Amino acid sequence: MCDACGCQTHTHDHGHDHGLGYSHDESVIVDINRSLFAANDAMARSNREHFDEENIVVLNLISSPGSGKTTLLEHTIDRIGSEIKIGVIEGDIETERDAERIRAKGVPAIQLTTGGACHLDASMIHRGFHQLQKEPGGDAIDLLVIENVGNLVCPATFDLGEHKRVVLVSVPEGPDKPAKYPKAFTSSQLFLITKTDLLPYFDFEVAEASREALSLNPALQVMDFSSTTGEGFDAWLDFLRELVRQKQGE
Amino acid sequence: MHEISLVQGLLGQLHDIAGQHKTTRILKVTMVIGPLSGVVVDSFKFGFDILTKEDALVKDAKLEIIIPEVTYRCSNCQGVQKTAGERPHECAECGDNLLIAEEGNDLILQQVEME
Repeated sequence: MCDACGCQTHTHDHGHDHGLGYSHDESVIVDINRSLFAANDAMARSNREHFDEENIVVLNLISSPGSGKTTLLEHTIDRIGSEIKIGVIEGDIETERDAERIRAKGVPAIQLTTGGACHLDASMIHRGFHQLQKEPGGDAIDLLVIENVGNLVCPATFDLGEHKRVVLVSVPEGPDKPAKYPKAFTSSQLFLITKTDLLPYFDFEVAEASREALSLNPALQVMDFSSTTGEGFDAWLDFLRELVRQKQGE
Repeated sequence: MHEISLVQGLLGQLHDIAGQHKTTRILKVTMVIGPLSGVVVDSFKFGFDILTKEDALVKDAKLEIIIPEVTYRCSNCQGVQKTAGERPHECAECGDNLLIAEEGNDLILQQVEME
């Protein structure tokens, strides 16, 4: 049935006028077949080419709020900031707080505030990176870490031009996150289980969380550590060293 | 709710297409939403409903959504299994568990019907 006037004919070539300012025979069907992600993906590709030209390794950190992304960065800077030049783009809905925490470590950092948007996209990173380059030390970095808006859902859909996507889950969040938020895990290359110093106080099995994630994405690399006690942290630092070494050897 | 920003992107494309075809009214929009695209179909419909209300070009447009199957290809024997999105635990042919999803990730504006 025709939705506009309720006529029972289904074809669009019967050509009668409905007195609504149009007639069916003017209807045109056009095949478009264009991805809604196409514009973002094209910008992400151009970001990645730009990062490659400058030999910068780029990571995109995705997790729920409070899983320890900024704390991970602070401890990473403390441990290898003298050997690897790190730059940070912070994404949050509001406030400069995270960028201030990173700048306090002597590392160039800029804050993107999305003003309500639940994710960063590739054009924000394009602008953010040029802004970062104007910061002291921002024009000579080896490793750019993008801390996405705290959200396990929406950021997983947007390629930013990163080389590796890293998803974090902290022990207090529980081991069921991979099953509940699969896209973040299927689109990542590395899964970090953080705050393992809290394992004695929570019902969290590292092996279970790891198994859940690997069943979604068997190619995922999994690490578990505590940023604050440093236990297991060396594997993460070695991972970063290796990425930077490979990029600079290219 | 990134679906709202995706619908905004869609409306931008529809205005471009309408301009190219010199039309002022779109009757129907057909989208393909992959089960692995991270797009919640109900949220997308909701975004479409509220954002099209105030836009003369699309205020009467019908939204049709096609949800395709996902093909999982075994990285060992190349055997394929199709599902509604969920990942098979292992390859039905050889039992390997490294299955690679093909398609299912995209959000495509497939067809537009206009006056």
